[in-house]
Amino acid sequence: MKTDRELIEEFQRGSDEAFNELVRRYLDLVYRFFQKITPDKMEAEDLAQTVFIKLFKALKKFRFESEFNTYLYRVNVNTANTYFKRNKWRNMLHLDQAPDDGYVETSQEKQWRKEEIWAAVGRLPKKQRLVVMMRIFQVLPFKDIGNILDMTEGTAKVNYHHGIKRVKFLLGNNE
Amino acid sequence: MNFEEKLLKSFTNTSEMLDPEQFINKLTTARYAQALKRSQTISSYLALIVILFVGILGFNELDQGAILMDGSYYYSTTIDLDQDEDSEYFDELALYIIEQEEDIWMAFSFFDELEYDKIVNLMEEES
Repeated sequence: MKTDRELIEEFQRGSDEAFNELVRRYLDLVYRFFQKITPDKMEAEDLAQTVFIKLFKALKKFRFESEFNTYLYRVNVNTANTYFKRNKWRNMLHLDQAPDDGYVETSQEKQWRKEEIWAAVGRLPKKQRLVVMMRIFQVLPFKDIGNILDMTEGTAKVNYHHGIKRVKFLLGNNE
Repeated sequence: MNFEEKLLKSFTNTSEMLDPEQFINKLTTARYAQALKRSQTISSYLALIVILFVGILGFNELDQGAILMDGSYYYSTTIDLDQDEDSEYFDELALYIIEQEEDIWMAFSFFDELEYDKIVNLMEEES
């Protein structure tokens, strides 16, 4: 089985099939990430498509200064970030007027709708938002998050702490 | 259960998968469509630049008019300058001809002859 690097080098030499192989390899990861962001499957698929179109353009000039994985996470997060900006007002509306259906609430545990959580995450400052996205929705360790976002592990932790505190407040969980 | 675990739990039941081959087909179509759109935009801008360029060149050419064209003395600016000096005299002369002949075209042909005289004179002076 070819490594990512070999596939990228083949793609840079003009093989579209090598790129398709990369798509097959990472589609699951990318699509799952966007499925967590939006309840709309078509929208998740469109966002995944956006990521791979960006990769198709960018990989032609990729110089292997970072791991492909890291680069892919960064593209994922940037695409999600753009999506948040585009839907900022919609998200705010969702948060303020979240409908009742889909709630599962008990005295011990409170579950939130995905839209509510994303609306809250969408209202965070950029750095906090990126860290929270990677930690909660891609379940990455702080060290990797730091590498991907060009910050130290400590900075990633601090941003996460402030971000999650704010999300907690916005979701009304003050226990 | 802490807050982070609760958040993670909210996302545990999202596991639907896409068909990779179908996705690749859609992706290829989208890439071609985007490339086509980009090339159309570039072509439109190039066409706009060419039209502007030709337009500006054309405007400059037309703006110079026949006055500065080689060999054309008929609408020479020098004649216009001479006319300015004698305009009062020619006005009176025109009125006189119209009154006498009661025909405006006679006045026009008289001025035409004057113009030709000036041109002939100019050409003689130059040669």
